[in-house]
Amino acid sequence: MNLAFLVPLFLLGVVGVVVPIVVHLTRRQRRNVVHFPSLMFLEKIPYQEQRRRRIQHWFLLSLRALALALVVAAFARPFFDQSSGTALGSGGPREIVVLLDRSYSMEIDGQIEQARSEAEQIFAELGPLDRASLVTFSRGADVVVRSTSDRTRLRGALDTLTVGSGATRYGPALKVAQTILEESTLARGEVYLLSDFQRNGWTGDEGVSLPPGSSLLPIEIGTEQEPDNLMVADVSLPRQIVAGRERITPTARIVRRGGDAATTVTVSLDLDGQEIQTREVTLAPNSAQPVQFQPFTLSQPHTTGTVRLDDDALGADNSHHFVVSPGSSLGVLVVNGAGGSNDPSLYLRGALAISDDGRFDVRSRRSSTIRPVDLDGTAAVFINDVLLDGGSAERLRTFVQDGGGVLVALGQDGGWPASAADMLPGTIGSIQDRLQGRGSTLGYLDYEHPVFEVFSGPRSGDFTGARFYRARGFTPSDSAAVIARFDDGSVALAELRVGRGRVLLWTTSLDSFWNDLALQPVYLPFVHRLAEYLGGRAEALPWFVAGQVVDLADPEALETAGLVSSEAAGLAEGLDQVALSPNGGNVTLPAGDGPRYLPLEEHGFYTVRQPGTDPDRPFIIAVNVDLEESNLGRVEADELALQIEAPTVVDDGSPRLTQAVELQREDQERRQSLWRWLLVAALALFTLETVISNWVSRRGSGAAGALAG
Amino acid sequence: MATTRPRHSAAGTQFLDPAVLGRIGNLELLARTVVDGFLTGLHRSPYLGFSMDFAEHRPYMPGDDIRRIDWKLYARTDRHYIKLFEADTNANFSVLLDLSASMSYGSHSLTKLDYARYLAACLTYFSNKQRDRVGLVTFDHEVVDYVPPSMKHLDTILHTLDRVTAGRPGSLAEPILRITEMLSRKGILVVISDFYEEPDAVLSALGPLRARGHDVIVFHVMDPFELEFPFQEASGFEDLETGEQIPVIPGKLRSDYLAMVNAHLTALEKRFTDNQIDYRLLDTSKPLDAALFEYLLSRERLSKAR
Repeated sequence: MNLAFLVPLFLLGVVGVVVPIVVHLTRRQRRNVVHFPSLMFLEKIPYQEQRRRRIQHWFLLSLRALALALVVAAFARPFFDQSSGTALGSGGPREIVVLLDRSYSMEIDGQIEQARSEAEQIFAELGPLDRASLVTFSRGADVVVRSTSDRTRLRGALDTLTVGSGATRYGPALKVAQTILEESTLARGEVYLLSDFQRNGWTGDEGVSLPPGSSLLPIEIGTEQEPDNLMVADVSLPRQIVAGRERITPTARIVRRGGDAATTVTVSLDLDGQEIQTREVTLAPNSAQPVQFQPFTLSQPHTTGTVRLDDDALGADNSHHFVVSPGSSLGVLVVNGAGGSNDPSLYLRGALAISDDGRFDVRSRRSSTIRPVDLDGTAAVFINDVLLDGGSAERLRTFVQDGGGVLVALGQDGGWPASAADMLPGTIGSIQDRLQGRGSTLGYLDYEHPVFEVFSGPRSGDFTGARFYRARGFTPSDSAAVIARFDDGSVALAELRVGRGRVLLWTTSLDSFWNDLALQPVYLPFVHRLAEYLGGRAEALPWFVAGQVVDLADPEALETAGLVSSEAAGLAEGLDQVALSPNGGNVTLPAGDGPRYLPLEEHGFYTVRQPGTDPDRPFIIAVNVDLEESNLGRVEADELALQIEAPTVVDDGSPRLTQAVELQREDQERRQSLWRWLLVAALALFTLETVISNWVSRRGSGAAGALAG
Repeated sequence: MATTRPRHSAAGTQFLDPAVLGRIGNLELLARTVVDGFLTGLHRSPYLGFSMDFAEHRPYMPGDDIRRIDWKLYARTDRHYIKLFEADTNANFSVLLDLSASMSYGSHSLTKLDYARYLAACLTYFSNKQRDRVGLVTFDHEVVDYVPPSMKHLDTILHTLDRVTAGRPGSLAEPILRITEMLSRKGILVVISDFYEEPDAVLSALGPLRARGHDVIVFHVMDPFELEFPFQEASGFEDLETGEQIPVIPGKLRSDYLAMVNAHLTALEKRFTDNQIDYRLLDTSKPLDAALFEYLLSRERLSKAR
């Protein structure tokens, strides 16, 4: 360890030490000049300047010289060079990136502590010229400390490390490591991947390519033996209306992975923090069992619930949180013609009336006229086989522009006034019979459309069984979207957005006269989806998964998050919001025109409210862990490392290496900061010299020029 | 101020305070103020009794002395007339003013040269009022300006005095010799200088003037700092004329300096008195009336001598 100087050129300033001596020996005594008419009466008196020709106070002179020398040394930036060439001898300094997995599976058997210990070991073995970064990752990656040789900082960052709620994803972390190595000036790069190497976190197409000279060194944490893990895989919350009140019957699905013998576990249900029910269930190894709880009455908005299991090795998936609120019925107006003995809306009203949770408030009107009062409290209107007058159509136009939804079903008597033809998604044509064979079927459904989205999965609803014998010809306009077509390509269902609302046109009837769809099982959910879509109702999610983000400035996102009262979340415009995380942290969401993203990084309940308020039923968002992480199957660490192998390079003493060494010297000097202490010492010496010289001056007052400088 | 006045001081002489005079920019106005005020204060003084013969009358003009109104003529003509007299002396009066650099010294608001200029202006104005022919010679180590004596040269003299400056080394012998040659007609010569030369050298320089029959009146102008040497701090003293500089500790030198100055003044007074030259030491911090009285006394003496 040698004393070195970062800017040795400044040492030339030590010549300044002789300045006080020279000044002392050469400085002439200052005196005033008096202009006088004549000196003929004045005799000349010489000064005793010879006393200044010698130095009397060597101590003071030494103090000044030493202080100046310290100042000069400080400017030369001294430091103790600890490199001693060892790092260069082993191939040059390294840029080390430690990727540390903090997904919630790392809580098993204290794996996070083991990873922390491994990381400390890596940092302890850093060479004097090496630099290291600490990156923690789960679903995403966070650079905790970036490219430093300050071991204290690195160790301090490890001390604050905790297990998160996210699932493992290797791709983002490796991308970060790649970026750090690419930006590094050091010749060699090493990436240490500390993880339990769950297979679910590796897809194989991450597209990571470490720069030349870099290598990936996987360090496997934990054992390969999969523990006996219980989890709450899912909770269903079906609703019923009983005696005008909404009841929920929670059913949880309990899954067991691993294990050797059957075991009995206790499953409990908490509501608003109070345990209300417990069930016991016996689970064989690698099996699943549903657990149904007694129904409870839902009377309060934002009611929190948790299905909980006994603790096991992986505790994060032993609880499942949800938030439910009482639903509100959707106002639906069904309009059909007054004449005729047949009721074209018989099946439609019947389908809308069938609902356990009373989600539709159906009103009927048999008239070709719609009064303004009919639209009060209405979100969706079915115009079923009736030709409205122009005034009613204009009222519907206003209704739709304000966000309402209208479906026009064309039967024998159906139609639309020409004065409001622009409201329809196209032009209505003549009646077309499809009597060949067994009639026509629906040949195309847009399963990405919200109406048919729920039918996209297998066994989710079969439209192919319905036969259509008659329909109206229809020519869609350019701005219209065709959602369903018959097998001959003609339009069955089309949509046009008008203002904030939407108009759907069904080219055949909703009863059983022109088709038998009303007799098919899919009719009921189809009608329900139509009504919900027209009414703009979004399905509230009882929980989110850790890692998702909610925009609290987006009304639709809030409705999806289950918000039923804007006051509960403090969503008044122009006010700040604060979100209290499950672990007690605060996330402030300042007011503004832009989005207010709330990242849901912890599992549990997030409470959103205005700062300083404490509403009775605050807006709560439930967050559960991603159950992918509960699958503890491992990928071979070496196999993973081989997939992202980097080309090697030979160190040739290039300018890059020299530059790296210079950077390390600067870094050592910055960390030691000896110049600060030198300046402090110089200041102290100057102060001491001032005190002593003043004392000497007072003592020897009258003897001008007696001091050493 | 009253305690320091000479015994001849009288009412009205407050106008002669040098500090007050320094604020009057115009020399003629200054001289008129000083002389008229001085004479007004002396209206009962016997020194106005120069014998004069009546010359003529002229109409009274504002500003004329009302004592000179001819009241008998007024009774006859109902108009005011002033009686004009012709002085019996009608002598040549010249001021020899030293412009050497040492005259530029001043420890207060007035330099010695300023004081000398005021004095010269007043004396010239006063003499001109007495119907003397007035002239002016300024010199340092040579003659700088020369205004020959004449009844009409008052304005020229005042103008010359107004623009004189001191800045060059001075000596007496050479310029006084030149002046002696220039002033061939006998007259009254007033020499104003600080006389920074040995007394013998001074006398040898002025001696020829006296020998040519001039009546010589010497005003020795000194600053109070030259007379008292009140300096305290050790300083470098620089000679205004030669630029020479020497380190001086005043406290140590003051007594010797004052002794030498007093010896110098005493020697000068003795030399001048012995040679019938009127000598008067003037402190520039003192009023001008002392000098005027000295001049009047000299005129009286000269008048009686004739």
